[in-house]
Amino acid sequence: MLSSLRAWGRPALLAGAFLLLAWAREAGAGPNGPLPELSPDSATGWLPVGDDLLPPPSGPGPVTFDKRYPYIDNGAARRARTQPTFRVADLTNPILQPWAIEEMRKANEEVLAGKVPFRPRESCYPGGVPGFVVYNLIYPNFFLQGAREVTIINPGGPELRRVYLDVPHSAKVTPSWYGESVGRYEGTDTLVVDTIGLSTKTYVDNYRTPHTEALHVVERFKLVDGGKMLEDLITLEDPGAFTMPWSAMQRFRRVRQGPMPESICAENNVNPFNFYMVPIPQSDRADF
Amino acid sequence: MSNLRKSLCAGSALAALVLVSGSAYSADAPDISGTYWSTDYHAKIQIVGGGDLPLTAAGKAAYEKNMAGLKDGSLSDDARKYCVPDGLPRVLATPYPFEIIQAPPGQITIIYELNHQVRAVAMDKPLPSDKELIPYPYYNGHSVGKFDGDTLVIESAGFNEKTFVDATGAPHTDEMHTVERIRRISPTELEDVVTIHDPEYYSRDWQARFTYKLRNEVRLEDYVCGEPHRDISMVSGVRRP
Repeated sequence: MLSSLRAWGRPALLAGAFLLLAWAREAGAGPNGPLPELSPDSATGWLPVGDDLLPPPSGPGPVTFDKRYPYIDNGAARRARTQPTFRVADLTNPILQPWAIEEMRKANEEVLAGKVPFRPRESCYPGGVPGFVVYNLIYPNFFLQGAREVTIINPGGPELRRVYLDVPHSAKVTPSWYGESVGRYEGTDTLVVDTIGLSTKTYVDNYRTPHTEALHVVERFKLVDGGKMLEDLITLEDPGAFTMPWSAMQRFRRVRQGPMPESICAENNVNPFNFYMVPIPQSDRADF
Repeated sequence: MSNLRKSLCAGSALAALVLVSGSAYSADAPDISGTYWSTDYHAKIQIVGGGDLPLTAAGKAAYEKNMAGLKDGSLSDDARKYCVPDGLPRVLATPYPFEIIQAPPGQITIIYELNHQVRAVAMDKPLPSDKELIPYPYYNGHSVGKFDGDTLVIESAGFNEKTFVDATGAPHTDEMHTVERIRRISPTELEDVVTIHDPEYYSRDWQARFTYKLRNEVRLEDYVCGEPHRDISMVSGVRRP
């Protein structure tokens, strides 16, 4: 009897500790002090510095452009008084498995033949993970820090990710556009997000880098530069698509552009120049 | 008291403390946060007190035009075809779950699984003037909120005219104003009573009432138009096409 009660006592303490943590979050505090202030008010958002994954501090990094076909975005083109280009992926990056190279080679050839490459934002599809952090350049991301969940919103779309705090991954995860994300705070400046269950309908980046359903992404969102910047150190593992684990960075500037606007991607979505583009999602039959 | 008893008491007390509270920040604000899901669905909006919508002559003409267009296909129901937002008050009839998040500070955010709609409700701020709202019409309008006791009162205006009041095509103008009174009517039920003010199409203000069950065990899912979505057949009134 006593041993049975002892067995119950420990879970009760653990439950108490967990719930105390949740309760502390109600007041905006974590076990090591205040939580990272990712959303101190409705105006504060995080504007991406670019829409390419950046190289990591060390080690293998993300796919970038083929040096023979430099990628020039609209802003760079405007500044250089030249024409923008579409992305042609560098297929020599050693992280890529052969089948991934072949898939990307076909996409490159379409671009070089004059087609507009698929990009989730332009066709109103979800960005996936980590594609979400390079979804667009226009809108800041907003973090809704709840007690049990952090919701990250990009108003352009809008696109939403949900990060469930201090819980393990589900035993069985059905692949989806944003997968299953669980997370935890580390110290007073970092949110760690662990994501699995990503559908192969998504790409890793805007270079159309594919992945398998085994993709595992760990992101460390960390406040840096005195809180003026948010840095996301991303680590990806997927032996089916990549020859090795690799990492990437994204950085965001703290801006005060909120409250988040309503900006519906599917509104007025037309194809004025008759480019070949992947049509926006639509339904022939309503769900109900 | 033995250590064992202390452990049990501490755990239980903390559990009780947390289970009664689920909001993110405002300790002094009533807590209506959570995931909710309706148990019934009506394509035609049900007005409080019963009867038909109090349409003006202009409203009746607009409704008939919408119904005819939806029937012969000359008018598209873009909320179902392209999954743009349903607009108010149609979104309140959603048969999919939605979530109320009392964050970030100064805002209550309502996220609907259907069409991944987001409503940002600015708390304790005045509604911008019509002059300010006219250049930026939103599907779900611009919303401000405040607590009146245990009730969240949301006032919305600045709508575009691309949405319907309900799935049958009931119309509204871009001058529609809505007031929602949202409160917990039991520990596990939420009520939203919306008042519609749109004098060009309706001869008087009218109300509709929606109720939802608290379903915090449900996680909202991604929603992409044209793909299979979660099973909503248990929501009474839902008819699969």
